[in-house]
Amino acid sequence: MSRNNIWVHVTIALALILIAAFAGGVRHWKKAMERSSQLVPYPKQQPDDRENKADDEDDADKVEVLVRFRAGTTREIIDRITREFNDEVEDRIESVDGLDIIADEDGQSAADVVAQYQALPEVEYAETNSEIVLDHEDRGRKHVHADDELFSRQWGLANAGENGGLAGADISAMRAWSVTRGSDQVVVAVIDSGVDYTHPDLTKNIWTRPEIIKAYEDDDLGAVDDQHGFNVVDDDGDPMDENGHGTHCAGIIGAEGGNEIGIAGVNWNVKIMPLRFMDGDGAGTTKDAIEAINYVIDRKRAGVNVRIISASWGSNTRSRALEDVIRKAYDEGILFVAAAGNASSDNDETPHYPSSYNLGNILSVAATNRNDQLASFSNYGANSVHVAAPGEEILSTWLEHGFTEKKGTSMATPFVAGVAALILSQNPKMSVDDLRARLLKSVDPILSLKGKISSGGRINAAKAVGAE
Amino acid sequence: MPEQKDEAVDRARRDLAQRLGMSESDVAVKSVEPVDFPDAALGAPLEDEMSAQVITPGWRIIFKAGETNYEYRATARQLRLFNFNGENYRVQALTES
Repeated sequence: MSRNNIWVHVTIALALILIAAFAGGVRHWKKAMERSSQLVPYPKQQPDDRENKADDEDDADKVEVLVRFRAGTTREIIDRITREFNDEVEDRIESVDGLDIIADEDGQSAADVVAQYQALPEVEYAETNSEIVLDHEDRGRKHVHADDELFSRQWGLANAGENGGLAGADISAMRAWSVTRGSDQVVVAVIDSGVDYTHPDLTKNIWTRPEIIKAYEDDDLGAVDDQHGFNVVDDDGDPMDENGHGTHCAGIIGAEGGNEIGIAGVNWNVKIMPLRFMDGDGAGTTKDAIEAINYVIDRKRAGVNVRIISASWGSNTRSRALEDVIRKAYDEGILFVAAAGNASSDNDETPHYPSSYNLGNILSVAATNRNDQLASFSNYGANSVHVAAPGEEILSTWLEHGFTEKKGTSMATPFVAGVAALILSQNPKMSVDDLRARLLKSVDPILSLKGKISSGGRINAAKAVGAE
Repeated sequence: MPEQKDEAVDRARRDLAQRLGMSESDVAVKSVEPVDFPDAALGAPLEDEMSAQVITPGWRIIFKAGETNYEYRATARQLRLFNFNGENYRVQALTES
C-alpha cells in the first residue's frame, strides 16, 4: 500500500465514522423526541440551555387555562379582556373557534383564573389545563388524567386493577376526555332526591335558570322561582337534597373535573338540573315523578337545552300516566336513562318501571362490578335491559360536602347519562334516536353480559365520542 | 348502630302491638339480622311508590305474635312493615319519632 493510498483509506474511514456518529445522534434525538411526546408539555417548552432555564422556571410557575369564547367575540374583545385581567393569550387552537390558551401573569391560582373567565358573558367555558399523556397500555392513544384528589378510587372511570379488579374494566373515560370533557351547553336533569347544589365539587356545574328563561309556571302553584330546578315534594324552587342519593348521582354525571379536589365526573363541564321528588328516605310517589318530568319538558319548551333525564329509581308498579309523560319527553328529544333495578331478577319476566317501558327514548341500565361482571344484585333482561355500566363501590359526592361509596343500578344509570352528555357536547343537534343508537353501538362486549342484556356490553365513553 | 337497631326494634314492636291490639309483652322478637335491601324502600314499596335503586343496608326484624310471624324492615332512619295482610306499610320515620 502506498503512502497516498493510506491517506485515502484514513480519509474514508474518518468519513464513515462521522456518518455513523451523525446517524446514531439522529436516532438518539429521535428517541428523545419520542420520550418527550409521552408527556406532552402543553404548551410549555423543554429547557434546552442554561440561559433559558430561569425563564423556563418562571413559565413553569405560570398558570394556564383553556378558555373558549362565544361565537362573535372578536380578537379585539379577547385581547381587551386578557389585558384587563393582566393575562396573555399564549396560543390559539385554530380548529376550534374561539378556543384560546391563556396564561395568567399575576400569580393567581388556576381555579381563580377559571372562575374569572367563567363569569364573563363572552365566555362559553373555561377550564384548567390538564396534562395529556399517552396511555402506556394502549400506545399511541391519548388520554387525559384527572388531578382530582380521589380520582384513583374511581375505578368506573379508570380501572388499573386495584383491589382485585380487572384492569381496563371501566368506561375508558380518560381516552374520551382527550376528545371532549363535556360542555356547559348540555343540561342533564337529575330527577331524584334533589341535589346539594352547594357541594364544592358540583356547584360550578349546577344549572341556573338564565334570565331570558321565564320562571316556571305551575297551574296550582303559580310562578315558581326555579333558580336551580324544582322541588316537587315541597312544591317550591329549592331542590336541596335531604337524602344524598341525588347528590351521588349528580357527581357521577358531572362533578367538576381537574380541580384537584374530590372526584371527577364523567363530564368535567355540564349543567346538572336538580329535581327533588323523593324525600329524605329516598322514596317518592309516581305522581311526583310525573310532575318532575313535566317540569323538564316545560323547561325544554321554554328554551333550556335539557336533552337527558337521569332516573335512578323505580318500582314494579306500571303506570300508564308515567309512560305517557316519558313518551312526551321523547317527542321533545329527551333521552330517558333509567335504572334496571336491584332484585337480581329478569326484567323480561318481571318488568321494572320506568326502565321497562317500551319507548324509543328509554335506556335501561344494568350494573357491573370492577371485574366487568354483572353485579350480583343487578336486574337483567335480554330484551328489556339495554346497556350496563359500573355500579358497585362507586365513589361520588354526598351530603355535608362529603364523598361516599354506594352501589346499585342507581349508580350505573348516571354513568350512561353522563356519556350521553359527552356525545351531545360534540354533536349538540343529534336526535334522541341517534344518541340512543350511538350509546348502544359503542359498548364493549362483555362475556358475562352476553344473552343477559340486549347490547351484551358495558358502555365505553371513548368509543362513544370517537376517541378510538 | 346498636342503639339505632334497638330503637328500630322497640318502635316496630310498639307498632305491631297497636295494629294487633295486644300488649307489647305479647310480641316476641324472633330474629334480627343485618340485610342489604335492594332499594331505598327496603324492598317493601307502598302502592304507587318509587324509590332510589341503591343497595340499602338495614335490619330484618321478625316478630312472633300468637302463631304468626311478622316482618319489619328498618334502617337508621326508616321503618317498614312488610307484607302485612298483603300490604306494605311505612311506619312513621324513626328520625321523627
